[in-house]
Parts: sequence; C-alpha cells; structure tokens
Amino acid sequence: MNPSRSTRIALYVYGIATIFFLYVPLLSVGFASVSKARYLSFPIKRYSTKWYGDALQSETVRDLLVTSLKVAVIVTVISMVVAFFGALAFARYNWRYRTLFQKLILLPIFFPQTVLGLALLMWFNSVGIIPTWKTAIVAHLVWIAPIATLIVAIRAYSFDPALEEAARDMGASTMTILREITLPLLMPGIISAGLFAFLLSWGNFPLSLFTTGADSTLPEWLYAKMVSGYSPLVPTLGVMSVVGSFLLILLAFSLNWLIRSVRESRSAEN
Amino acid sequence: MQSQPILRLRQVVKKFGNFTALHGVDLEIEEGEFFTIVGPSGSGKSTMIRLLVGMDELSEGEIWLRDKRIDQTPANLRPTCMVFQSLALFPHMSVGQNIEFPLKLRGAAPADRKARALELLDLLRLPQSYYQKRISECSGGEKQRVALARALAFDPEILFFDEPLSALDYRLRKTLEKELKSLHARTGKTFVYITHSLEEAMVMSDRIAIMREGRFEQISVADEIYGRPVSRFVAEFMGEVNLFDVEGTASDGLHGKGIEIHVNGDTRDFGISLEKGVTGTLMVRPEYVRFLTSSATADFIVRGILRAEYALGSRIQYEVETSAGQTLTVEKLREDRFCGNEGSAVILGFDAENVHLIRGT
Repeated sequence: MNPSRSTRIALYVYGIATIFFLYVPLLSVGFASVSKARYLSFPIKRYSTKWYGDALQSETVRDLLVTSLKVAVIVTVISMVVAFFGALAFARYNWRYRTLFQKLILLPIFFPQTVLGLALLMWFNSVGIIPTWKTAIVAHLVWIAPIATLIVAIRAYSFDPALEEAARDMGASTMTILREITLPLLMPGIISAGLFAFLLSWGNFPLSLFTTGADSTLPEWLYAKMVSGYSPLVPTLGVMSVVGSFLLILLAFSLNWLIRSVRESRSAEN
Repeated sequence: MQSQPILRLRQVVKKFGNFTALHGVDLEIEEGEFFTIVGPSGSGKSTMIRLLVGMDELSEGEIWLRDKRIDQTPANLRPTCMVFQSLALFPHMSVGQNIEFPLKLRGAAPADRKARALELLDLLRLPQSYYQKRISECSGGEKQRVALARALAFDPEILFFDEPLSALDYRLRKTLEKELKSLHARTGKTFVYITHSLEEAMVMSDRIAIMREGRFEQISVADEIYGRPVSRFVAEFMGEVNLFDVEGTASDGLHGKGIEIHVNGDTRDFGISLEKGVTGTLMVRPEYVRFLTSSATADFIVRGILRAEYALGSRIQYEVETSAGQTLTVEKLREDRFCGNEGSAVILGFDAENVHLIRGT
C-alpha cells in the first residue's frame, strides 16, 4: 500500500524527530567522550581517546561493570525461567485464579519504580537484610520478571493447544511435551524476553539506587558523578554502556539465527 | 462366527457441569471398518472423539478396545492416534521430523525412523525430497498427507479423524476423500472419522452413525441411512428430501393432505401402511419424483405449480408449490431436463418402491 501525502509527511516528521531527540543526544555523549577537556563543553577543542584508556585501566570502572553485569545476567536468567512458566500459567492453562493472576502480574509495572524501590528497601530493612547487589537482583526481578512474562505470554497465546494434545496422543509424557514441543516453540519469545530483561536491568537506575546498598551499578555511578564530583569518565562510560547493549542485541540475533541453522542441519542429518 | 468388535462403548455419559453432552451411548465398531460419525455442530460428536482418543474423561460408562478396558487410560498410553482438525503439525520440525516423532518417542534408531518415514511418504504419494521440507513450505493438501503419514507412523490400532478436511477447498476435499478411502483399503486399519458433512461420510464410510443431541439417531450403511432414515431428523440431515404428513386409514391404507394415493395392490406389501389414526411421515428423495404428462400415472400423485429452476451442474433442481401449500424439490439429470415455464401447473408422480415411511412424527 502506498501512503497518502499526509501520511508521508507524518512519517518524515516522525523520522526526523526520532533522529533529533534520540540519536543526536547520543552522538553528543559520544563526542564528549572523545574530548580532551576535563569538563563538558561544546564545541570540542581537542579530541582524544585518553578517557577510554583511563576507563579500561580504572579499578572503579571494572567494579562498576562487574556489578552491573552480575546483576543483569542473573536477572536475565531468572526472568527467562520465571517468564516461561509464568507465560504458561498466563496464557495456556485454564485455572481458577487465572484472571486474578493476569491482573496481579501487571501491578509492579504500573507502580512507579522509585516507590517500588523505596518499598523494597524498607522491607529489606524490616526483615533485617543488608542491601547489596544481591538485593538489587530481587528488586529488579520484581519489576522485570512480569514484563518478561508478558513478552513470552504473547508468544504463548499464538500457540495451537492441539500441538501439545497431538504430542500426548502419540505417546509423549508431560516432560517430553515440554522439552520437544512447548519449549522450542516459545523459544523466540523467551530469547526476546531475556534481551529485554538484560537491557532493563543494565540501564535501571531508580530500583538500583534504593536497593544496592554500598554497591554501585553503572547508571548509579553516572548519576552520582553528575551530582557531585564530575568525572570526564562519565560520557566515556555512557558510550561503553550503549555499546554493550548493542553488542547484546547482536548476540541475541545471532543466537536466534544459530538455533534456526542448528535445527535445519539436524533435520538434514536425520 | 461374529468377530469381536475392535472398539466397544457401553452406556457412555459425558457431563460438563449441568450440561449432558452424551446420554449413555452404546457403540460397536468392527475391525478394519471405516466408521463415520456425522452430526450437526453441538450434537456431541467432538465430545465423543475426545473421549475415544483419551483427551477428556467420561462421566459414566465404559470404553473397551478389544478385551481391554481403556476409558481410564490417558491418551499417551492408548494405542490409538488422531488426525486433528488443525492437523497439529509441529511447525519447528521438518516434514521428516514430524513423521518420525512417534517413532522417536518409542526410541527407534534414526536409520529405521528415516526408512519408515520415506516409506510413508511413498504411501501418501509425496516425493521423498519432502523429507527435508519445512511444514510452512507445504500446501494444504500436502500438510494433510504429512499429518496422515505421522499418524500412520504411530501404527495405531484405530486411526481417528476429527474433521481434517473441513478447512480445504471443495476440489481438494473431493480428491482427498477418495485418497482416504483408498488409503483405508491399502492399510486395512480401522478408521473412525468425525464430520458434519454428509457427502464426506457417504463417499468414504462402510457405516455411518448419525448423532443428535448426544445420542445416536441411526447407525447403518450409507444407502440405508439415505433411503430408509429412522426419523425426520435423519431424512432432512442427509440431503434434499420431500416429506408428507400422513395418517393411517381404516383399511390400513394411507391418507395425506394434497397427495393422491393410487398404489396398485396393498400398501402393506411395500411396508408403507399405518394402523388407523396413527400418524407418520412419507419420504421421497427428489431424484425419484417424475414430471407426469397427462396420460402417465404413478402410485403417488401431487399437483402443483412450478416455482423455480436451479442448475446444479450435472443436475437440474426444481421447486414446486403443491396445492396444499408445501414446497417440493425435484431433481433431474441434465439430459432428462423438464421444460416448463415458471408459474405453470405441473403434475408430479412417484412410485411405492421409492418411498419410505417413517412412523410417528
């Protein structure tokens, strides 16, 4: 279908706005990261990759990256598992409290994250848990696991229940059906859910701020340095964080591609 | 000696809450039979097949497979298999992997699995190159054949079908009906088929069961159900039909409004008599009704006005409004086409050997 004139204009405006509000700001961080000056100022007088070298050697930066990565990876793995079973409960099986479950699971998403973070911090304190990066994992999961569940549930809704029935009819046990039919069919959804979980955890600030205690994640550090004691490493780490996210997306795509080609070669072997 | 039936249902009841879907059904299916259960939607035929396959539990009664009672056996432990309405082919597996799935579950060696899959592709007249194909690359008819091959790979005692042709276009459906019939002959397996289409049932089946509101109305061969239905419901379900309300007379004859009866001899000889005061329905199929010229005669004569003519392809269908205000259907082969103007008076006739009397109304 060819868009009408007004639709075309709207599309152009939309495209330009996206570039202007999303990519131009990102580019300015990129430029700032290669400026030799200690403070943010435009136009940039002298370019240098000095801060990248510094960042790679800095122990603080390594700690930040390790903490953020630990939290994000663990949140991703747990989210994927929870989302798989949660989506089955959400979309596939008819059970008594299903509608209630479907509504409850949305609650954390509607809750402002700052309030959620504060609530969790107070709860950790009252039960006597000292907040560290481990409590941040719990906090992230409260918010991210439901989102991941919804993503897998969308996939589960488009799933013909007769597929599982057919497998059972041909003699498959519940475990075999899960392994041979349900899991492979939901896998694209589970991978996108994992991707979202990682990115949401990696970039999360409000929940981490309240629940990491003495530990610090990358977004927290960026904020802290902007508020007091600016470091020229701020834009550098910002860029590194974005690049990390992009690498992950690439990884997810190649993983999907890998699964498909493995399946094809397996069917060719047989 | 009567051989033992392969499948036997005794007083099978299925309830969903307050709703009773099956009211104590009895059924016996013979070894090697092509048995079709036909009924309108809501008649309980889908409930029936889910019970037979083991995907739902019955509320009361027994199901026997030869001399084993199977109604408490879950679907995955029953030696039967079903071709689903949606076919339920696994989209993430190739054609070959789909066919091999039941064999893989039994732990067959990969080489044996492949050999059997290729054999089945031959049996279903699919090229062996399809072994590698993705399900999404197959056409509707090819998917049907893959689903059949997969079910046959399971080597079931009974193969069940849940309206697998209903989503296909007319021509393909006709082709596959005949293929299924020939596949049944070649494999010698017992086929139990569910459909709402009488045509499908008539083309393929050895015996047909007509279902209505959770009961079997009639179980018989196709000719019997078509020509000698036990009720108005069956008569009307099995295609176009003309029905007349009749009543027995003192002399064991028949009397009907708007119909002249000139049966040569005793109506009892034709099994179309009723005792005095008893009501019934006289049935004649449209192809047995003739247009009479003034001199000709027939056992039953009805006068009316030609109202419409429809070309059905090889046949022509006519609508005639009788003097009693009833609309009758007449069908003629194209070569026997009746030439009459719409609105003209016609005389219709049919003979005692072609009518069937249903007792009661």
